Amino acid sequence: MKKEFSVVGKPIIREDGFDKITGRAKFADDYKFDGMLHAVMLRIPETHAKINSINYSEVENDQAVNSIITFADIPGAKKVGMIKNDQPIFCDEVIVTPGDVLAMLVGEDVARLRLALSKIKVKYTPLQTLTDPRKSLEPDAILIHPELGSNLIIHHPLRKGNIEKGFAESDHILEQTYTTQLIEHAYIEPEAVIAIPLGQNGIKIIGSIQNPFSARRIIAAVVNLPLDKVQVIQAQLGGSFGGKDDTMCILSARAAVAAIKVNRPVKIRYTREESILESYKRHPYILNYKVGFKNNGKIKAMKIDILADGGAYCSMSPFVTWRSVVQATGPYEIENVHTDVRAVYTNNPYTGAMRGFGSPQPIFANESLMDEIALQLGIDPVEVRKINGLKAGSITATGQKLQNHDVNLLTVLDTAAKETDFQNKWKKYKKDKSIIQKYDFTKPVFNDSQFIEPDQLIKKGIGLAASYRGCSLGAEGIDAAACYLSIQNDGSVYLLSGLAENGQGLRTTFSIIVAEELGITTDNIFYLETDTSRVPDSGPTVASRATLMGGGAVKNAAEILRGRLEELIRAEWKLKNSDEIIFHDNKILTTDNRQLTTYKDLCKLATNRGVNLATIGWYKSPNVDWNEHTGQGDAYFTYVYGCQVAEVSVNLGTGEVYLDKITAVHDPGTVINKLGAEGQIYGGVTQGAGYGILEEATTENGLIRELNFDQYLILTAKDIGEIKPIFVEGKEIYGPWGAKSLGEPTLELTAAAISNAVSNALGKRFFSLPLNLEEVLLGKKLRPVEVKRGSLQ
Amino acid sequence: MIPSIEILIPKNLNEVLGILSNQDKNFKIIAGGTDVVTGLKQESNRFINTEVLVDINRIAEVKGIEKRNGKISIGAASTFTEIYTNPIVSSELPILKKAVATIGSLQIRNRATIAGNFVNNAPCADTVTALLVYNATIEIESTNSKREISLQEFLQGPYKTQLKKDEIVTRINIPVPPKTFVGDFYKLGRRQAVAISRITFAVLMELNGNKINEIKIAAGAVTPIGTRFPELEKYAAGKEANNDFIKSLASKLGEEIIKLTGLRWSSEYKLPVVQQMFYQMLKRITKK
Ligand SMILES: Cc1cc2nc3c(=O)[nH]c(=O)nc-3n(C[C@H](O)[C@H](O)[C@H](O)COP(=O)(O)OP(=O)(O)OC[C@H]3O[C@@H](n4cnc5c(N)ncnc54)[C@H](O)[C@@H]3O)c2cc1C
Repeated sequence: MKKEFSVVGKPIIREDGFDKITGRAKFADDYKFDGMLHAVMLRIPETHAKINSINYSEVENDQAVNSIITFADIPGAKKVGMIKNDQPIFCDEVIVTPGDVLAMLVGEDVARLRLALSKIKVKYTPLQTLTDPRKSLEPDAILIHPELGSNLIIHHPLRKGNIEKGFAESDHILEQTYTTQLIEHAYIEPEAVIAIPLGQNGIKIIGSIQNPFSARRIIAAVVNLPLDKVQVIQAQLGGSFGGKDDTMCILSARAAVAAIKVNRPVKIRYTREESILESYKRHPYILNYKVGFKNNGKIKAMKIDILADGGAYCSMSPFVTWRSVVQATGPYEIENVHTDVRAVYTNNPYTGAMRGFGSPQPIFANESLMDEIALQLGIDPVEVRKINGLKAGSITATGQKLQNHDVNLLTVLDTAAKETDFQNKWKKYKKDKSIIQKYDFTKPVFNDSQFIEPDQLIKKGIGLAASYRGCSLGAEGIDAAACYLSIQNDGSVYLLSGLAENGQGLRTTFSIIVAEELGITTDNIFYLETDTSRVPDSGPTVASRATLMGGGAVKNAAEILRGRLEELIRAEWKLKNSDEIIFHDNKILTTDNRQLTTYKDLCKLATNRGVNLATIGWYKSPNVDWNEHTGQGDAYFTYVYGCQVAEVSVNLGTGEVYLDKITAVHDPGTVINKLGAEGQIYGGVTQGAGYGILEEATTENGLIRELNFDQYLILTAKDIGEIKPIFVEGKEIYGPWGAKSLGEPTLELTAAAISNAVSNALGKRFFSLPLNLEEVLLGKKLRPVEVKRGSLQ
Repeated sequence: MIPSIEILIPKNLNEVLGILSNQDKNFKIIAGGTDVVTGLKQESNRFINTEVLVDINRIAEVKGIEKRNGKISIGAASTFTEIYTNPIVSSELPILKKAVATIGSLQIRNRATIAGNFVNNAPCADTVTALLVYNATIEIESTNSKREISLQEFLQGPYKTQLKKDEIVTRINIPVPPKTFVGDFYKLGRRQAVAISRITFAVLMELNGNKINEIKIAAGAVTPIGTRFPELEKYAAGKEANNDFIKSLASKLGEEIIKLTGLRWSSEYKLPVVQQMFYQMLKRITKK
């Protein structure tokens, strides 16, 4: 029976909305302290080099320089990492990528510090670079981290069934290679952090930090203090998208080392250029897919080989690529699967977590492939997905049986198809062969036949992509979350989760859960500042796990306090244990609508009776399991399903792709905040569309060319047409009232759907993201020869 | 980092000219600042030695748009929003209006000025092609001279103009095009707003029936700076604007661009697109 909600599922305006639009919200760089100093980074314009010597003599007596902070000042761990400790806080012997930092200067005036930086003499020997991940595992490849003995970061194999037999039983075999690009998170607020030394009491950090508990762990290791002496406070976050994790941990640790040394607060604040230069990016993938299928459309076998460029450091590569290995076949039941996913080191910018986390790349590949199968068999994209799609009881590629929740793949697929009249449009727009011209660059001047008649210039297309996605961390690690909840004697409430607001609206979502449980409104709830000293470590805010795990803990806390209040009511009003008590609209009612008291009076009474109205809520995920040799196991305890349809117009003369409409159908389980959920779709689709047709960080020998937003282009509001969110709320036994995940699914599908739509319009398939002007028109990327901009001369 | 720089805010043109005539310091005029400030921040060689910025936003002589003696006179420091919303521009200079509408974003158009655009003279300055087909002339003043020259002459090369250190551009004058002239502006960027042009062109022509009496053609971003194509214009004058001829004209534009620019990394994309979209525009104009 579905409960009638009073707050859950309604559109609730975010609690930080007004502060943010009026400029009152305090971001990390807005904090200033007496005696605060600034730190600037010393780098060299190289990609891979051995540092022979650093001569500071010209800045040692510089009035602007209070202190020079180097490797030698680090009291604890010199190298850190989310998984592998391979990333130095300061490089003393070698740099392996252009963002690497050798040392810092600390002083009062950033401009004068930057001037001083130019006076430091660094002697170095450039080393051979390795920037092509396909060469990383060759026997004669240089080693990025010689002490590790190999450039292999991780290899995830997956073996299900018998791949040879599967291909032998297939009527058709198709093999394709896809590539995806390096992209930047492009959060609007660049990195900023302040470290404040507290003497005997350790250190306090305030920063634009995605995961305060991860930062605490790394800072504590670097400054060699116990966890309780490192207090991390999260400032308002100006965007993260997975990007303010490793980088912010390292910046926080650098600031902490400096603050302890000079015994004054130290701030680090990056320019956009430094941010793009040093922060990690989304992994570029090279994906080889071989699929065998029957005449009736049934896929018999899939062999997948994926290579991810991890760049110079390990970061989250093992987990990112683990999600890829689990989900690489797409949401289809395939008897025989043979997958290898590898991440390797190169001298490129390092890659790590980014919204989607190893799913947008394989989705582009497998969803392109599904359309190709359909075309080859003369069926349509919906049909081929229905034939193979996961249903209740299906066995996934990892051998997991899908159960205990609505396996809604076919429902979202049907909903999306119906909503957009997909099949009719797809057939109408379909081209039997490529209608894009082949241009011969040796004959650049047009002959008469090359001109397109105006009414033939714009072609419409429609395409879709579907996915399933494991919720939360899965077999990546321990998965539990906490929440602190305290009701005051006037009924107002303090709330704080161990998961951190990342701008997605988590505080509002959690407030809604408490409000629903206690029968009050969200304006009665005050969400406390995120501070590692106030609430238990709840793991990182990643993997679209906040509503599911954090929300679970919030609901648990609210249930505990409500239970105590109910106990009091039963005693006070002499009710039986079986009598249901209703908390609604600030009133306490019986099932026959008799008002016992108000919520406020009840809280006062509870205080007077000595009832404990504060608690820590807890939510722990059910067990999952994984065999790393076979890639088999129950990878995640539940899944969500989504399908997006892109309707596009393509300009045959320019290669422009106009995004007319994106319909996004998602099953996130129960929707807690309608407004927040729709916001996730608008944002995720826009980011995903940018990944599909525009965004790309290109490198020249490991150095990124697009170091600011004049060159690194993301979509604007004018570049995207209507986005239509549709929710199919499937039943789920986990999470608060069955609420699961939404943030990442919204992004992962869009590029693949757009590519399929462009293919539908042009009769030509694309294998390399993004589908930018040159890719669509010429079938390839064009790169400038010179990195330097004309306007700088 | 932007170095600390003195800013002067003169109140009238004479004051500006007086300041600029002092050659001891490196002065730079600042209007909207959308090129100056970004240039300073990027430490561009063109801006880095600036010692004093001279703000001309309060100078009445370089503001305002009016029609006098068969000409439309646009104050050099008119912002793109002022130009876009001006009724004279709307009715008489639709090509300029269209070009202005494609610039940056609303915030940029509220600040950026027309003279700033062509004095900066980036290859991708969007108003240049429109101004060139309108035969715009510009008034330039210093304490001891006042001259009016064609924009074409003024523009010398990428980021280079005839402007001397003591001079300011005061007005842009455009002869009112006869009503018989029709035309259009085209811009291609990588996205629909805040986009640097990869290709721009503008056309203004007079048709007599289907015959081309006169045509003016300018392109930018595919050429080192915004440029007219006199050869092409001569070739087209007096010709029937039929499909075959329009095609040949579009191919010839491709040829001319290769002559001017040579083949670059981007030509492989830009050349087919210029010819194709130029053809599309001519078809649109001649169909009317
Ligand atoms: C985000 C962004 C987007 C942009 N998008 C576009 C675009 O789409 N298309 C486009 O063409 N440009 C674009 N630009 C560039 C810029 O906005 C334009 O070139 C603009 O016209 C410059 O005008 P301004 O008034 O801001 O010039 P300023 O920056 O004030 O000055 C530019 C130059 O002109 C000189 N100058 C200005 N006025 C005079 C005068 N009256 N006499 C003599 N010299 C003078 C200055 O000394 C300086 O050298 C963009 C810029 C930004 C920052």
